[in-house]
This record gives sequence, C-alpha cells and structure tokens, in this order.
Amino acid sequence: MNVLHRKLMRELFAAKGVLIAIISIIAVGIGCFIAMSSTYDNLEYSRQSYYRLCQMADFSVELKKVPTGDLAALTDVPGVTSILPRIVFEVTASLEGVEKPLSGQAVSLPAHENPPINRIVIKQGSYFTDQRQEEVILNDAFARAHNLLPGDHIQLILNNRLQDLLIVGTAISSEFVYLLGPGGLVPEPESYGVFYLKHDYAEDVFGFEGAANQVLGHLAPEFQSPDRVRLILDQLELNLDEYGVFSTTPLAQQSSHWFLKSEIDGLKVSATILPTIFLIVAALALNLLMSRMAEQQRTIVGTLKALGYSNQEIFLHFIQFGLLIGIAGGLLGIFIGYSLAGAMTAQYRNFFEFPSLVNQMYPRVILLGMLISIFFAVLGTYRGVRSVVRLSPAEAMRPKPPLRARRILLEKIPAFWNALDFRWQLVLRDIFRNRTRTLGGLLSATVGAMLLLVTFSMYDSAFALLNFQYDKLLLSDIDISFKDDHDYAALLESQQLAGVDEAEPLFHIGCTLKNGIHEKKVGITGITENAQLTIPRDTAGNRVAIPETGILVTRKLADILQIQAGDSLEMIPVAGDRIARQVPVMKIIDSYLGLTVYADFDYLNRLMGESQTLTSVQLKTSPRPEVTRQIYRQVKQIPAIQSVTSIRDQKDKLQEVLVDQMIVMIVVVIVFSCLIFFGSILNASLISLSERQQEIATLRVLGYTPAEVGSIFLRESFCVNLPGILLGLPAGYWASKGINIAYDTELFRMPFTIDAMSWVYTVLLGIIFTLISHWPVQKAIRNMDWLTALNVKE
Amino acid sequence: MAASDTDALPSLQNQERSILLALKSISKTYFTGDVSVPVLHNVDLDIFAREFLVIVGPSGSGKSTLLNIVGGIDVPTAGDVFFHQQNISEFNEQQLTRYRRENIGFVFQFYNLVPTLTARENVIVAADISDDPMSPDDALELVGLADRANHFPSQLSGGEQQRVAIARALVKNPELLLCDEPTGALDLSTGRKILEVLGNLNRELGKTVVIITHNSAIGKMAQRVIRIGSGTIAETRINPQPVPANQVTW
Repeated sequence: MNVLHRKLMRELFAAKGVLIAIISIIAVGIGCFIAMSSTYDNLEYSRQSYYRLCQMADFSVELKKVPTGDLAALTDVPGVTSILPRIVFEVTASLEGVEKPLSGQAVSLPAHENPPINRIVIKQGSYFTDQRQEEVILNDAFARAHNLLPGDHIQLILNNRLQDLLIVGTAISSEFVYLLGPGGLVPEPESYGVFYLKHDYAEDVFGFEGAANQVLGHLAPEFQSPDRVRLILDQLELNLDEYGVFSTTPLAQQSSHWFLKSEIDGLKVSATILPTIFLIVAALALNLLMSRMAEQQRTIVGTLKALGYSNQEIFLHFIQFGLLIGIAGGLLGIFIGYSLAGAMTAQYRNFFEFPSLVNQMYPRVILLGMLISIFFAVLGTYRGVRSVVRLSPAEAMRPKPPLRARRILLEKIPAFWNALDFRWQLVLRDIFRNRTRTLGGLLSATVGAMLLLVTFSMYDSAFALLNFQYDKLLLSDIDISFKDDHDYAALLESQQLAGVDEAEPLFHIGCTLKNGIHEKKVGITGITENAQLTIPRDTAGNRVAIPETGILVTRKLADILQIQAGDSLEMIPVAGDRIARQVPVMKIIDSYLGLTVYADFDYLNRLMGESQTLTSVQLKTSPRPEVTRQIYRQVKQIPAIQSVTSIRDQKDKLQEVLVDQMIVMIVVVIVFSCLIFFGSILNASLISLSERQQEIATLRVLGYTPAEVGSIFLRESFCVNLPGILLGLPAGYWASKGINIAYDTELFRMPFTIDAMSWVYTVLLGIIFTLISHWPVQKAIRNMDWLTALNVKE
Repeated sequence: MAASDTDALPSLQNQERSILLALKSISKTYFTGDVSVPVLHNVDLDIFAREFLVIVGPSGSGKSTLLNIVGGIDVPTAGDVFFHQQNISEFNEQQLTRYRRENIGFVFQFYNLVPTLTARENVIVAADISDDPMSPDDALELVGLADRANHFPSQLSGGEQQRVAIARALVKNPELLLCDEPTGALDLSTGRKILEVLGNLNRELGKTVVIITHNSAIGKMAQRVIRIGSGTIAETRINPQPVPANQVTW
C-alpha cells in the first residue's frame, strides 16, 4: 500500500463517525435502488416468462353467444394471428364443511390438450383424463385455501344445475396472476376461484353446443401498439356485432395484467425517485465533509504540490475518499437491498400467483447500484475538494484568508439584533455565513419531513378509500347477484331469508356510453330512490340524491367522455335490443373504483323497457356469525345465484392487507427519514465543531459547561431543521398530490387526504430526530480536548 | 552523517562558480480584487551550483515570494527564470510539477508534515514520486533520525519534525534545497542543529542550499548573503570566512 493510501485510511478512520452517517445514507439510497430494481426484475422477468409459457392472450372479446364455426374468419383481420373460443361463466360452488357460498369463473379448456392461448400450468394432479366428463381443474390458490387435492370432489352450480365434479388437478395460469372476485381489490382465494372444465362438457352443460361466449386471440408483434390494438378490436367488434359483444379487452386492460403491471411500473418509478433523494442528500453531506477536510489539509496540499505532486495526483488522492465511501455505501446498500428485495418478493408471492417468483441477484442491477453509489460519492467529494486542489502551491500554503466578516442581514435591524443574547448571535451568524451548509441541512430536513408526510398521506388515503367504499358508499353486508334478470319476487324472497334486516334491489346493465367521438363501455347500476345500502356521494362525502331521470356519472368517466352535468349521452345497451337511447347527465359524483354510473332503479327499468327487473340484491344482516352462517346456508339452496359476495369479508381482507403493508412501509420510512436527519445533522454539526474548536475552547475557559456549549449547537440545528421540516410540509403535500394523480386510473383511484395528525406527527418526528441526532454532537463536545484546541495555530 | 562542529563551509571565492539558476528582471505583483500589491521589482540573481546562499530580509520584503518563484511553486508576473539554461517561467503547470519533482527540495518554517503519516512515511511520500530517490532510511539517517522513523509528527519535537522535513526534501536527490525560515519555529540550540544538517548536505553531498530568513545571524555561515528589502536586492555580500553552524548565535 503506498503511503498516501495509508494517509487516506488513517484519515477515514479518524472521521469514522461522520463517515458512518454518510455511508448509511448512501447505503439506504442504494438499498432502495437495489431492492426496488431487483423486485422489479423479479416480477417483470417472472411475468414475461410466465406469459410466454402460457401463451398469454393479447386480447379477449366477451360476447353473448357466437357459433365457433363463424370465428375462423377473424384471423383474416390484419394483425390477428390466432384465436381461441372459450366458454366462460360466473358460477357458484359449494364444498362440504364450507358454509360460505363460494364463487368463481368456470372456464372451458380443450379436453385433450392444453390450449394454444392462455395455457394452464399444472401444479398438482394432471390435465383432464378420458375417463369422465365431470372433471374439473381448480386454480391452485383456491385448492390450497380449502386443502383440496386431486381426487376430491367439488360441487358447482352450472346453468342452474348442481354438478358434482372430480378434481383431477390444480393449476395456475398467467391470466389469473392476480385473481379478483366481483368488486374486490385484493385476491380472496378462500371465496373466489377458477374452475376449468372440459370444453365439450361446458358446451353441454351451458347449452353452448358449437358455440362460445369468449374469444381469445394473439396479435402479430408489429400490431401490438395500443393504437393498432384498439383498431383491431374495433374491427373485431364490428365483425362480431350480431353476436352481442359485451366488451373487447386488450391485454393492457385485462384485470390481472393491469394490477400486476401497475405494481411493476410503480416499482420502477419508486426505484428512481427514492434513491435519488437519498443520494443527493448523501452527496451534499459528503461535499460538506470533503470541503472541510480539504480545507484542513490546505497546507498539506500545498506541500505535496511543492514536492512535485501534480494536481491530478492530489485530486485522485482525495477522490479516493469518495471512491472508498462510495464502495462502502454501495456494498452495504447491495446487502440491504438484496435482503429487502427478498422480503418484498416474498410479500408479492402472497398476492401474485407465479410458477416461481424468487429473489435473484442481477449483476446489471448490482453493478449499476455500485456505479451510482460511487458516482454520487465521487461527485460530492469532487465538489468539496476542487477549490483547494486548484490553488497554486504557494497560495495553498498560506493560511486561508480570514472570512470577510460582513454583517449578516439581521444585524442591520439593531432593535432585533441587540435584543438577542450573544449565543443567538453566534448561532445566527454561523447559519448565515455558512450558506452551503445551511442549505444542505435545510434540504435534508425538508426531504426527511416530506418522506414522512407522503407516507402518512398514503396511509390516510388508503384508509379514506376503505372508509368511503365500505362505510359511505357500500353499506350492505352481503351482495347476491343473479344469473339472469329477475323480478321483484327475488327481492321479496331475499327479504324473507332469516337474519336479513334489509334488502335492496340493484338493476345492472352493460352499455356503451357515447358523446360524439368519445365512448366507453361501462355498466349502469340502477338503485332505488331511497336506497340505504348503496349511497352515491360527492367528494365531501355528502349523499347525492338519485335523480328521477338521467344518470349520475363518476368524475373519471366524465373526463373520458368529456361531459359535464347537464349534457346528454347516447346509451347503447350491450344486450337486448341494442338501440341507442339518450340519457341526460344530472350530476358528476365521486367514486374510487371503476367507472361507476348510477341511475334510478325505475328509470333504468323504463329505459330498458322493463318493469321492476333486478340483477342483484344487497342485504343488510345481523353481524352475528351464526346469522351469517344461516344466511349462507339458505342462499346456497337458490340455484339462480351467480355470486355471493360478503362485503364485510371483503372489507376485512382489504383492511388486513392495507394495515400489514402500510405498517411495514411506515416503519421503514421512519427509519430512513431518521437516517437522513441523523446523517445531515451529525455531519453539519461535527464539521462546525471542528471549525469552531477555538471558539468552543474559549467558551470552556470562560466557564461554560459542555451542556451550555452544546445548547448553541442544538439551537443551530433547530434553526436549520425546523424551517426545513416546515418546508417539508408543503413539499410533502405536493408530492402526495403528485402520487395521487399518478394513481388516477380507470380501474382505481385514491382519495387525496392528509389527516391533521399526520401533519402533527411529521413535525413531531422531525423534532425528535433533531434531538436524537444532537446526542453524538453533545458527546463530542464533552470529549473535546479544548486545552489543545486553544493552542492551535491558524 | 555526523555533524562536525568545526566544519565551516569554504568561501565561495575558493570554489569554481557555475550558474545553476538565474533570475532575470523578475517582478511579481499580487492582485486581489481591485488592489494590486507589488512584491518583487526587477530582481536579477544568479544561484551557483553547490552554493550555500542565505537571503535575509524583514517580513514582507518579498523573500518568500522569491523562493517560491525559484522553486516553481509561484510564477513571476514579469521576467525569466533559467534553470540549467532552461526558461522555467515559460513552463506550463505540468512542466513546473516535473521541475519541482526532479530538482527541488523544499523545507518549510512549520515543517508541513502529514500528521497522519509517520516520519518514515512522510519521507516516502517524496521518494514515491522521484525517479532516482535515495533510500528513505538513508535520508533519515543523514538527518540523525533513524531511530525515530516510526513516530508520528505529534510524537516528535519541533527540531525532529524539521529534520524529517529535511529528509523528505533530501530523499528525492534534488540539486537545490530551498529552505523557508527553517529555524523560525525553533529555539537556538535546535535551530543550530538544523543548520548543521543543512551545512553538511551542502558540503558533503554537494547540494545547493538556499535559506531565506529574517534572522541575519544565519548569514554568518553562508558563502553568500543577499539582503532583500522592498522587493529589490539591497545588498549582495560574499562571506570571506563562513563560520560553522554551532558558532551562529541569535
């Protein structure tokens, strides 16, 4: 090791306290980067290989009924390379010993071989056998949730007939990576499953001989852009028009894919923003440290130059500080990041069903993390030392010219300045004279507080969503939807179920809403005038009365269709006569899930030429478990039921998932934010301490206690950090707003809210972190060798 | 090298005189903001090979600036500096670095040692960049510090630190040793020891030694003394009988 390396090592060791703080910040930044980037790669590579394995469909068309023989012509549409007709129905299931009515999708598959599109991957048992028609393959999560194994039986109500089916296997498929039941936001494998049936059996049992109600397809690679996909789907819709197209869904809007892709894309954004924040703070801290170190070594720099060292050699010597700090931060960050990626990936395994989702180490990510770490560390060092290294040797060997002792602005207000005791004067002078250090501290505190507020705001928003959805909008406990349209008798029947306190009808129709060139396929939900179980609300949470005529449109849909209250829309039902009707838009409402449209129950019936027709019933029941079980038992006897959703279970599940995820996230962010405060304050204070040794020594000689000296530094920390924390509040507000806007999609939106307590917690935590960070500074003051400091030559 | 108390330097009159370095019409002015401070004015000076030269002058007379220009760590505003007939005032930064590296050994008033390196390591810092260095241990031996090689500067006395600095200047085998107030921070007896070491290096190793000092007493051991005042050379005196370092007193 050459002697300058030895010098480097010894100086690094001497500055270990500050270095640990800076390395920690870098490590956290790199850790975030590695964790999120690796998790991104874990998910994205798993997704890609899974989609390839299953030959994931590029689109699907859902329709009433189409003869399979008429589908061959679809491949003539330019871009469509292959198609697969399927029979897909929402069905209910029952299992021995399970009281809750179970539901799911029955999906037909070729009897003898895995289909060419949306293949399944067998996890247990086998594909269908030739021994019987009544065979079923279950999705693996559902089977696991109920401990079902090949050889067990399950009963499905298929086309109003109870069928007993033999489970031959369990499987997963790329189209159900994230499987949601009706109205759900998180998978509930214990109540919602996928039941794969032999296609000829499905034809038979659903009365679909030679027909299908869903068409899957692949597109040629050059036809995958969103615009081209849209054009092809429009063409397909036109070609299949006579068979009653309910919807055309490009892969981008397929439910499972959408949730998976948003999560993956979100990771990519987070992997960029969060680490950048930490690394900028670290670079700033390192800049301060290194400029101080270079300044302290001014004479040594001059001497080395006089000895014949070139600028580059001296520069490289100092840059090695940055390099080593960057490498140390990078290595620690890689370790933290890889472990964190493991935990995150494990967490995702709970939501996403993949053949294999494992945490891997990606050399590209590791290398990039290391390079980023080194880049920021070297950048901070470079900016810190360049002015000293550039000095001519003669100039470097002269002592630094004294600071120009200009008065700070506040001193020009004598009434204010003279009222301050000299300690405050010291503090304020130091703050205003060391502007870079002050700005660095201010920025770090702002970033720390911003991170806290953004996290609290996400927590608040998630729970506001939960409250809005389940305490204000949907107040039912159980929703029952029927296979076909029913009349009021079904409502009366439901009302008479033992344990039901209240029942309300819903009439749901699928339609296309059109405003000139803008159109969207949506559902309209008809609710009764005085409905108590579904209550449309405005942003403020106030009930919006259902108008006698016309519709209530959710804001997101109003934006898509470019309409406002008072406008009129063309409504074309996807089923029935499919004749366009004009509907007035009465009011714009708020909802956070989907593109909801409400209308009066009777109005919608009249509009559709029906009277008192309903498609589902909402029930308010006693919360007692035995009552719920009793209702489940009764409901199971009704064959016309398509699905039974326990809104209460849905809410509980969502709450559980949100709380679990949020708590972990909050703890991590609090630790990260604390590190930012700690690193920034420790660095700034220790540098200030080393610059002001003589000042401190003088105060100690005068009889000041370490605590009294420390209080000057604490005041300085607060003077910088408190404004920083306060600036972090609007910064956090706008960052949260930005995140809120980024999450504003057709499927899902978050209410934007920050609770009063979140503001308070942010400020309080900022103050607590400032106090904690002062502790090592106080310790350094107590241990300072002030007698030697008094004799230091400047 | 054991310093001999009675060894005075030979008079310059008795030596063959070849010019090592020549300053021609050197001026130096510092500019700070709108203020210009002239420090050297039209200085002409020849420094001979193997000479022991002392430049004396009060604070602010420009002697340090003169030394810095000679050493290539500062550049003149006007004039030329010839080292072995090469005009170093036309050198770029890289050439100046090369010049210092190969030809110059600096000794400073406050030693300027790297506090985190031992005496030996401080010497190695200079040896490392030299094409033909002497052994660092030999350099320490020459200044009588072989037994303190592994001590850090904070564990050495001022005189010992200055001897480490001399060893560091020496280890590169430079032709020219430039010493800026080498005894300025030392007491009389320690200062004398340093002067002895410098005298020996001149006499036994043939190094050209230039000392600048405000202490005119040191001039007694020089072969030539130049008095500088207000940026010009006020007097040049050849010492007919240099005295040994141990007889110098102040």
